[in-house]
Amino acid sequence: MKLVIFNGSPRNKKSNSKILIEHFLTGYNRICSEPVPIHYLANSKQKESPKEIFGNSEIVIIIFPLYTDCMPGIVMEFFESIIELKFTHAKKIGFIVQSGFPEAIHSIYIERYLKKLTKRLNCEYLGTIIKGGVEGIQIMPPSMTKKLFGRFQDLGEYFARNDAFSTEIQEILRKPFKLSLMRIILFNVIKKTGLTNLYWDSNLKKNNAFKNRFDKPFEDEVIKH
Amino acid sequence: MKVTILNGDMKQGKSDFSGYLEELTEGFRKNHSVNIYNLNKMNLHQCIGCWSCWWKTPGRCAINDDAEEIFRSVINSDFVIFASPLIAGFTSSALKKITDRLIVLLHPYIELINGESHHRKRYDKYPDFGLVLEKESDTDNEDLAIISDIYDRFALNLHSKKKYMKFIEHDKVEEIIYETCNI
Repeated sequence: MKLVIFNGSPRNKKSNSKILIEHFLTGYNRICSEPVPIHYLANSKQKESPKEIFGNSEIVIIIFPLYTDCMPGIVMEFFESIIELKFTHAKKIGFIVQSGFPEAIHSIYIERYLKKLTKRLNCEYLGTIIKGGVEGIQIMPPSMTKKLFGRFQDLGEYFARNDAFSTEIQEILRKPFKLSLMRIILFNVIKKTGLTNLYWDSNLKKNNAFKNRFDKPFEDEVIKH
Repeated sequence: MKVTILNGDMKQGKSDFSGYLEELTEGFRKNHSVNIYNLNKMNLHQCIGCWSCWWKTPGRCAINDDAEEIFRSVINSDFVIFASPLIAGFTSSALKKITDRLIVLLHPYIELINGESHHRKRYDKYPDFGLVLEKESDTDNEDLAIISDIYDRFALNLHSKKKYMKFIEHDKVEEIIYETCNI
């Protein structure tokens, strides 16, 4: 069956979601050489609407970053459009939710929604891949991303063989579900050195904004009606 | 008290939902300061994840639209009402888009709360909030539990608390006002 992928990242083609999908497809194409169309929800210049594409597809993967504890607004807009479709036969839908937070716990609440949405659409739910700690993968050295990308390639390969996510890889990608005690202790020790903010501070300095990092521009202003 | 109502109703023209919120707004106005924002009538864009608000212009969004007025109102309010008819089992995309942009009110630095990573406060005080919703014909208890839990998580990240979830079908405007003012 034909696979179609929707990328719901508001960052469009500059997204971490795009990178994860590229690796997923590297693995997928080891087994299946058929090209897989990728549709970017943030790209409003598409000839066919995402709703039409979704309606005509058989297997769908929807990937998006976690925004304020659930789907980005643009993905919700997509869900609003496809809920109007009535399917006479079930299509298969799987989801990939990635976040900057390292722990999977942040994404398990939206997972419940996605499962229920699929049921509402009268489709078959293939599960949700949750991966935390994704922010920064574009600037990390290859040694730091090798494992992650390798797992997404394996996930894609398994998907091409089975039209399903590998539960084994799914479980691995969810780790850590919560931070371990050791990691919490380590964080609290490193925090005292300021190194936990290194990524943010280096970008703040690069943008000449470091001295303004604690600004509260909207506080205590008079609200006029 | 200061109240901000974010109306995520996407229907054009009059609707039962927006009519209910108008009544709610008028009720609050008798004794309180209230700002209501009808999101579908405003010039609002989605968050594009550029993080300018975190590392270029701290606390300010790079998108030049009507959102700044909402940010100011939200952070200076004692209470915020996220209001929306449910669609596809969740609050509307109009409400979600402005909710995404509220990250401008947070700081990029990470801190641990209950052993979990969260963004630290940018402001000293954040308003608690409530939900005012309209059910769909097929809304069930599972949907409501999912919505409630997601907004509890959002509250945790906003250094805030979700105080209630009300429905225009069976909660009276007066009761919502009373409960909001006695939290």
